[in-house]
Amino acid sequence: MRPPARGGRGGRGFGGRSDGGGRGGRGFGGRSDGGGRGGRGGRGGRTPRGRGVRGGGGRGGPGMKGGSKVVVVPHKHDGVFIAQAKEDALCTKNMVAGESVYGEKRVSVQNEDGTKVEYRVWNPFRSKLAAAVLGGVDNIWIAPGARVLYLGAASGTTVSHVSDIVGPTGLVYAVEFSHRSGRDLVNMAKKRTNVIPIIEDARHPAKYRMLVGMVDVIFSDVAQPDQARILALNASYFLKNGGHFVISIKANCIDSTQAPEAVFAAEVEKLKLEQFKPSEQVTLEPFERDHACVVGGYRMPKKPKAT
Amino acid sequence: MSSSAAAPIGLSWAPQLPSLAAAGGGSKKGSAPTPSIDAQESLWKPSNQLVDGLYVPPRDPRKVNKMARKSVKDTTGKGWFDMPAPSITPELKKDLEILQLRHVMDPKRHFKRSGKSKALPKYFQVGTVIEPASEFYSSRLTKHERKQTLVDELLSDQKLKNYRMRKVREIQVARTPGGNQKWKNKGKQTFKRAKDRRK
Repeated sequence: MRPPARGGRGGRGFGGRSDGGGRGGRGFGGRSDGGGRGGRGGRGGRTPRGRGVRGGGGRGGPGMKGGSKVVVVPHKHDGVFIAQAKEDALCTKNMVAGESVYGEKRVSVQNEDGTKVEYRVWNPFRSKLAAAVLGGVDNIWIAPGARVLYLGAASGTTVSHVSDIVGPTGLVYAVEFSHRSGRDLVNMAKKRTNVIPIIEDARHPAKYRMLVGMVDVIFSDVAQPDQARILALNASYFLKNGGHFVISIKANCIDSTQAPEAVFAAEVEKLKLEQFKPSEQVTLEPFERDHACVVGGYRMPKKPKAT
Repeated sequence: MSSSAAAPIGLSWAPQLPSLAAAGGGSKKGSAPTPSIDAQESLWKPSNQLVDGLYVPPRDPRKVNKMARKSVKDTTGKGWFDMPAPSITPELKKDLEILQLRHVMDPKRHFKRSGKSKALPKYFQVGTVIEPASEFYSSRLTKHERKQTLVDELLSDQKLKNYRMRKVREIQVARTPGGNQKWKNKGKQTFKRAKDRRK
């Protein structure tokens, strides 16, 4: 079921930050068995990530059953919530109440004043961003009101949660090359006003430059050997100075012969050459094997000298 | 324009409060008792403070600001989409407390510590899980199993109940004085209890 837990390989901080999130998220509030989605080893290759929308959702998710009561409390990160009961689950506030995007559980809340609010459970085994959040990343920069460029949107499962987080005031540009999973993405975007689906190759940002405005954050989940270049290219077009990037690196997709740590370090070096300033790196270990998530800034303004 | 009390007409508008007018003889001056302090703080005002049946906010900007601050609903702010702080009822409090003690409920389940603070969360919402249609048979509580609160739900689990009862019995056995059943501990403050404490 779950990928085997490995020892060591914690997140490392860059630039003097010591709390890079080293192995933070091992036991997120007692996941029970059956949390994982079964073997997902050989995914990757080109941008489309063949992941059926409703594939095998039956076993996924935390063990909270329909009809049980949960307490929803705010998470450390803006726009993210935790549903607590016997187990904990990450949640986002559903923009489209009453709709489940990919067969995930929802939490319905009735407020004291009679208004209804809904949350959607966010499965870290299906979303690398959720895995990074549980891995204890310091800041995901995706917050209510943010404009996000999402590279490698696939069928839009994570995109729907990002759209929840940024809320009605934010905006998500979701880029995906594959038509097949792009169809699901477009269908998802039909109901969410803040998602703009773009079915284009992320290697050629010039093709969609007329659709995308300046963004605050770029999230990149293209499992490609040249993903650092793709990120840099898109950042040069759309990312504001002092904006931030979140990139998920799959070691196997870049160089399967080298050790994952070496691959991550090499990728970080590539990013540094492109005016990125990585601030932290977390492993997505209990959720994904040999993955790392790197967060940092782009063309960060120079700090004023201490006088 | 003699003093600040008489504001120039057109620049600001002063409410014609009959009770506050010191020099002019108010029409109902003697009739109404002076409003108490709590009446001043609440939004409800006695009718003798109303002008033409309408409430007039105080002129002092500091008072106005204070009132505005009080009337704002307590929420998490826009970072978490204005999640409100509910009024704590005994049921809600028990829900939160059992969440903090959930690590003792089940010996097989382990939790990451949520933090050092033992304070109950201020902002939270209690909701019900809705399962997707695909999990109708696999992951759904029947109507009989559904409960009103989290506490009821956790306490209704038979397995956990057995464990809990066993633990209670163990503690009771450990606490009973050895040998004679007549040597009962009567309350916390007995001599024997004090001896127990010293152990």
